[in-house]
Amino acid sequence: MHQYLNDPIDVSVDFTNQRVRPHTVCWDNQMYKIKKVNLVHNTNEDGQHIFYFSVSDDANFMKLRLNTQNLEWRLVELYTD
Amino acid sequence: MSIILHVDFNSFFASVEQQANPFLRGKPIAITGKRGIKDMKRSIVATASIEAKRLGVKTPMPVMEAKRICPELILLPGDMRKYSEITDRMLRVLRENSDKIEQFSTDEAFADITSIAQDYFGATIIAQIIRNQIAQACGELCSVSIGVGPSKTIAKLASGETKPNGLTIVQPSEVISYLDKKPLEDVCGIGRATIKHLESIGISSFQTLRMASMKKLVHEFKPITGMWLYNIARGIEHDGVNDSQEDPKSIGHSYTFAHDLEFDAEIKTNLLSIADTVALRLRKMKFKAGHISLLVRYNDFSSNHIGIKLTNSVNDGLSIYKYASQLLNKVRDINKPIRLLGISTSQFSNLEKPVSLFLKDQKMQSALCAQDCILEKFGNRALCRAATISSVFQERASGWHYDHQL
Repeated sequence: MHQYLNDPIDVSVDFTNQRVRPHTVCWDNQMYKIKKVNLVHNTNEDGQHIFYFSVSDDANFMKLRLNTQNLEWRLVELYTD
Repeated sequence: MSIILHVDFNSFFASVEQQANPFLRGKPIAITGKRGIKDMKRSIVATASIEAKRLGVKTPMPVMEAKRICPELILLPGDMRKYSEITDRMLRVLRENSDKIEQFSTDEAFADITSIAQDYFGATIIAQIIRNQIAQACGELCSVSIGVGPSKTIAKLASGETKPNGLTIVQPSEVISYLDKKPLEDVCGIGRATIKHLESIGISSFQTLRMASMKKLVHEFKPITGMWLYNIARGIEHDGVNDSQEDPKSIGHSYTFAHDLEFDAEIKTNLLSIADTVALRLRKMKFKAGHISLLVRYNDFSSNHIGIKLTNSVNDGLSIYKYASQLLNKVRDINKPIRLLGISTSQFSNLEKPVSLFLKDQKMQSALCAQDCILEKFGNRALCRAATISSVFQERASGWHYDHQL
């Protein structure tokens, strides 16, 4: 099932080699340990620099949105097989 | 002699989605232009994954037809911002490994590797380096096919030879025999109309094309196309990799709506919104348009196309809308709902003309300047007319442009 969302989430990250790597996502009172960061892309939305992280664990794909202006994380896509 | 390399992503948008989401890998997926099940059904398949292509899905195919052929097809709306970054990464790799590059579309580019490669052995190594670096920069699933040859046409033809993930080298001595194995329509630039014309004069292959004299081809196709056909049949091409960006000959925007438009108010709102989009692009290019044309497509896929030459060139949305609206009133069949509207402008003059003597025009120009500054800083939706607030166009890719970059 593929859902388009815009839910605020808590994300813990690792900082390695001057890169941010999402490590754990807390959404809807559940913790998801990220297994793989598949793609990272960034864009300018209405003057704000936004990073998108396409990540997955064994059962879910998540697209995470990081607003670099207010450091807010949101879950914008969820795909479950 | 030049050594030209052509890079072409395999099933570009679909591969990027499969790279981002591992649960889509190995499945038939299609990227459409619209979001939401209802809107998607009116859309076309922009890209199909390799798995979907194997099951008979083609591009551009209406989504409904694709679903009929392949019921298990997974439909996804395009994410142009994601794809544009992958395009940029591919171009960056090419730039680092070549003398000159020329973007051909969102997923294709040429590179002149003559001095870096030196010979075709070097070209093979450079091609493999480029392929590995693109996989590293964009992800393993975003694979490319590469063609190398002495001209752009041959390189492009060669990149289509083995897909996905192919590498085909055509050396200068092999060009004629390579062309002879290909149908004429495989060559970029020989379209359906040219094929039909060629067939009408007894030309159906590169062998028969080579038998035609230059005089005959020029007579049949006018000098530029005739000479190009004469040369291309012999593997000759003078058009090298061009890394300079030429000014566009036309700037426009067309949009297929989520539902057919029947009412005057919604038609006007959307036409004004399209006019504003075109005007913004004109001002970004520092152009004023001397010609405006309008395309109307109805729900039965019939269409009207009409243009008007302007006495005073324009670059503001309201003026463009007024002309487009006049054209629409002239051609519109009021009994048919409208599926698509498009405005195209051409015959550009440079903005740096004397400032108008009239205060009203001066005020309009300074208001437009202020508006453009706001949009530049805060994005294209930061400021819009109250009348167009309900008209939101989804971002797309067309040719080698992405809407959000224009």
